[in-house]
Amino acid sequence: MLQALPEKQWNLETTAHLLNRMGFGGTPAEIQKLADLGPEQAISSLLDYEKIPDNTPAPVWAQPDPARMRQQRDINQHGTPEEKKQFQQEENKLQNQRIIELRGWWLNRMAKGPRPFQEKMVLFWHGHFATSFEKVRDAYFMWRQNELFRRLATDNWLYLLTEAGKDPAMLIWLDQAQSRKEHPNENYAREVMELFSLGEGHYTEKDVTEGARALTGWSLDRLDQKYVYRPLFHDRGEKTFLGRTGELNGDDMMEQIVAQPQAAKFITAKLWNFFAGQVPDENLNDALAAVFRENGNNFKPFLRVMFRSEEFYADSVVRNQVKSPVQWLVGSARLLECDLPPAVVSWGVTRGLGQDLFAPPNVKGWDGGITWITTNTLLARYNDAATIVQGTTQQLGADDFARKPGGQGGEKIEKALRRIHIGGVDVKKILTVRELADKDLLVSSLERRLLQSELTGEQEKTLYDFLAAHDKLTNEDIRSAIRLIMSTPDYQIA
Amino acid sequence: MKNEITLQTRREFLRTTVLGSALSWTVPAFLANTFAALQSRAADSATQIVTGKDDTILVVLQMAGGNDGINTVVPYASDFYHKARPRIGLKAGDILKLNGEIGLHGAMTGFKELYDSGNLAVVQGVGYPNPNRSHFRSTEIWQTASDEDKIEKYGWIGRYFDSCCSGADPAVGVTIGSQLPEAFFAKTPKGICFNNPQNYRFMANGATEQSYKKLNEAEMSGVAPDAPADENSGGSIGMLAAGMPMQGGKAVDFIERTALDAQQSSDEVRAIAARVQNQTVYPASQLGNSLKLVAKLIGGGLPTRIYYVSQGGYDTHTNQIATQNRLLKDLGDSTKAFVDDLKAQNNMQRVLVMTFSEFGRRVAENANGGTDHGAAAPMFIVGNKVKAGLLGRYPSLAPQDLFEGDIKYNVDFRNVYASVLENWLKTKSAPILGRQFEPLSLV
Repeated sequence: MLQALPEKQWNLETTAHLLNRMGFGGTPAEIQKLADLGPEQAISSLLDYEKIPDNTPAPVWAQPDPARMRQQRDINQHGTPEEKKQFQQEENKLQNQRIIELRGWWLNRMAKGPRPFQEKMVLFWHGHFATSFEKVRDAYFMWRQNELFRRLATDNWLYLLTEAGKDPAMLIWLDQAQSRKEHPNENYAREVMELFSLGEGHYTEKDVTEGARALTGWSLDRLDQKYVYRPLFHDRGEKTFLGRTGELNGDDMMEQIVAQPQAAKFITAKLWNFFAGQVPDENLNDALAAVFRENGNNFKPFLRVMFRSEEFYADSVVRNQVKSPVQWLVGSARLLECDLPPAVVSWGVTRGLGQDLFAPPNVKGWDGGITWITTNTLLARYNDAATIVQGTTQQLGADDFARKPGGQGGEKIEKALRRIHIGGVDVKKILTVRELADKDLLVSSLERRLLQSELTGEQEKTLYDFLAAHDKLTNEDIRSAIRLIMSTPDYQIA
Repeated sequence: MKNEITLQTRREFLRTTVLGSALSWTVPAFLANTFAALQSRAADSATQIVTGKDDTILVVLQMAGGNDGINTVVPYASDFYHKARPRIGLKAGDILKLNGEIGLHGAMTGFKELYDSGNLAVVQGVGYPNPNRSHFRSTEIWQTASDEDKIEKYGWIGRYFDSCCSGADPAVGVTIGSQLPEAFFAKTPKGICFNNPQNYRFMANGATEQSYKKLNEAEMSGVAPDAPADENSGGSIGMLAAGMPMQGGKAVDFIERTALDAQQSSDEVRAIAARVQNQTVYPASQLGNSLKLVAKLIGGGLPTRIYYVSQGGYDTHTNQIATQNRLLKDLGDSTKAFVDDLKAQNNMQRVLVMTFSEFGRRVAENANGGTDHGAAAPMFIVGNKVKAGLLGRYPSLAPQDLFEGDIKYNVDFRNVYASVLENWLKTKSAPILGRQFEPLSLV
C-alpha cells in the first residue's frame, strides 16, 4: 500500500487533482507548469512552502491591548450598569468589525497568497480544532489561533496538540480557563480525546474526570491576553489516565494521548478524509498510521508519502469531492483570475453556503462531504456564482446579515452593500481574442478552465443554444455563460 | 438488474411508477436504483402515499446543546434538588407549579398555558441505556435511534421516508435551516431545506434561467450509469465519516438529485410563503421565525409530513440562569404562538410537536454557575389530541439513586418515537426503529 504513483501516470489530470486538493485549484497555465515538474517536484513545490517568502502583514489590530483589558476590568468591577453596557456595546461592535476583516484577510491569503498548501492546512486545523468567535468574542485571539495553525501546520503531533490546548481562544472556547482543582471542568478533557485525538470509544469516563484533574492549572491571563499556568488551580494529587499513574499534569496528559497508537490512526484518517474526500478503510488507515509513526508523528514527511501514493489518485478519489464553500469561493477566484469580493460579501457567501470561518457550527467542526449540499445551499451556490462572475450583489439582502447574534440594522447593511462595487470577471483576461470570437473555442476553453473536464453532449448543447441566441457575444453574455457552467452539479465537485 | 434504463424526463419519471414511452436517455445509477425501488413497491402494494396536505404532520423541535431538564421541569419540593444546586436551584416562587412537587421553569408561561388547556404532555425522565455524554455521539443516538454501542448510517426520520414515502414529493420532509439533520439521512435521501423562502430560487433573467433548468436535468449530466453502490464505505468509523454515506460513491449523483429537488420545490415554497399570512405574533427569534414559516407552509398545503426546526444554545456550563431563562421563554412563547396560529388556521388537530435534547445535565451544579453534561431529561409533546399532563414519573434525585451523578432514565426515547410513528404517523415502528419498542400512550 501507499506505493508511489509511477511517473508515467503523471499528467494534466493528476496534476489538476493535486492542485485542487493541496491548494485551491489553478488556471490551465498553472496546471501545465506543475505538470512539467513531475510528481515529486510538483508535490515539493507546494509542500515545502518554507522556501517561498510570504510577507503578508498581520491586521493592524492583531496584538495584545493591555490598556483596554485593564479598562474593561475596571469598568466591570467599578462601573455603573450604564457604563458596563456602553463598554460592552462598543466592544461588540469593534470585535464584529474585526472578525469580518479577519475573514477577508484569511480568504485573501488562500486566494492570492504564495503558499496555498499552508493555508489549506490552516483550514484543516481550523476545522479540526474547531473554535468559534461566537463564544470567544475576541478577534485577536482568533487571529492568534489561526497563526498557531499556520506556524505548526505540518509540524509534530504532540507539539501541536499541546500548543492547541494552551491557545487562549481554545482555553475560552472549551472552558478550560475556568477550571479549578475544587471542581474541574470536564469540557476540554473530554473533547480533546473525543474530537481532537482519539475518537469516541477509545477512553473511559474515568479518563475524562482524571484528565480534567490533570489539566487544572492551564489557564488564561486575561489582562496580558496569553496562556498562563496557575499552580494554585492545579490538582497535585495522583491520577490514572489512559493507564498511566502519577502526579500528572496537562503536558503529561497530552504525551500519554499521543503515545496511543489510536492517536496516529485518528489524525491520519481525518487528514485522508479531508484531502482524499473519503474515510479510509481499515487497511489503508493502518498503512497511513504506520507511515506517520515511522516518521516520528511529524506531519510533513507523512503528507509527502500520502500525496504521492497511488491511492490518492484512485478513480474513486479524483473528481469525487464536493468543494467546501471556502474551496468553492477561493477556487473560483483563482480559476477566474479575479479578486475575491470585499470581506463582508465573501463572508456572507461562505456563511450562506454553510462554512462560516471562525464560527464553525460546533466543536466537531464541519461535517463536509455531501453534507455541504442541500437544496438551500445548492441554489445559493448558483446565485453566488453571479456575484463573483457578474458582480451583482442583489441576492445579498438584509436577511443575510441581520442574523448576526445581537445584530441589528440589516437594512443599513443592505444599503451599504448596494454601494459596494464588485468588479466581476474580466473575460479578456481569461480568454484569447480567438476564443472570444469562436463559440467552439470559447466553450472548450471554459470547460477546460472551469471543470478540467467536459460537459456532456446535452449540457454542451444547452450552452450552445444559450450562446446562439446572441449574434455577437458581449462580455456580459460570456459572463452569463460562465455563471451557467458554475450553476451545474459538475462545478460543485473537484 | 440492468444498469441502464431510459426515460423521457427525470421529472416525469419521478412522478410515475411505470416506464413511460418515447424513451431515449441514459440515466444515472441512483435513478436506476430509485426506479427499482419504485417497481418493487408498486408490485407488492397498492398503498397510497399519504401526504401532509390532508393527514397528520409531525414537527420535531431540537433543543441543541443538552438542555438542563432539571431546571426545566423542576422538582421544586425536593431537598436533594436544593442541596445539589445551592446557587442555581429555582425556588418555589420562581416556577410555574404543575402540582405539589413539580413545576415548569418560570419563563415557560407559554408552555404553562398549553398545559392548562390540555395541549401539552410532559414525558418525564427520557433517556437510553448507558448514556453517552458527548454532544455529538448523543445527538447521533437520538437522530438515528440507535443503541448506544451501535453506529447507524441512517436517521430515524430518513428510515421513515425510506419505508413509507418512496416516490413522494421531495418536500415530504422540510428542515428550516441550511443543513439537513442526521435524522434525515436515508438510503434514498429525501427532504428539502431552506431558511429564507425569498432566496430559495435561481435568480436570473429568463434565458439564463431556462438554460440553468436544462443544465440541471439529471439525464443530461455525465454520470457513469453503472457505478456500483459501495455500501460499506465509511460505515466503520462513523464519527469521522463525512456525514451521510454516499449513494453509489459518486458525489455528483447526489448533487443532481438535490438540484432537481430544489427546482421542484422552490416555486411552491415561495408562493406559499408570499400568500399565506400568519395570524399570531411570534417572538423575533430564530425559533420564532422558523415556526412562523412552518405554520405558513402547513397553511399553504405543502405536502410535508415532517418538519424539523431547531433552537441552539443549551450547553450551559457557565452562568446558566440567564441563558436558560432566555431560551426557555423563547421556546414557550414561540410554540404557543405556533399553536394559536394553527388553531386559527383550523389545522392544529393535524399537527404534533415533539421536542428533544441530546441529554440533560448533571444534578449537581458546577463551580461556574452552570451544569455539565448529564443524562435523562423530559420531552415535550404538544398537540390537540395529546394525553396532556405529566407522564411517567420524575426520576429520583436522591444521591443513592443517581448513576455517576446523573438521574436515571425511566422511559427510552424510542418508546416515544414508537408512539409518534404508530399512533400519529400511523405506521409500523419496528422496521424503522430496528425492533419493537412499546408505544407510550401519548396521542
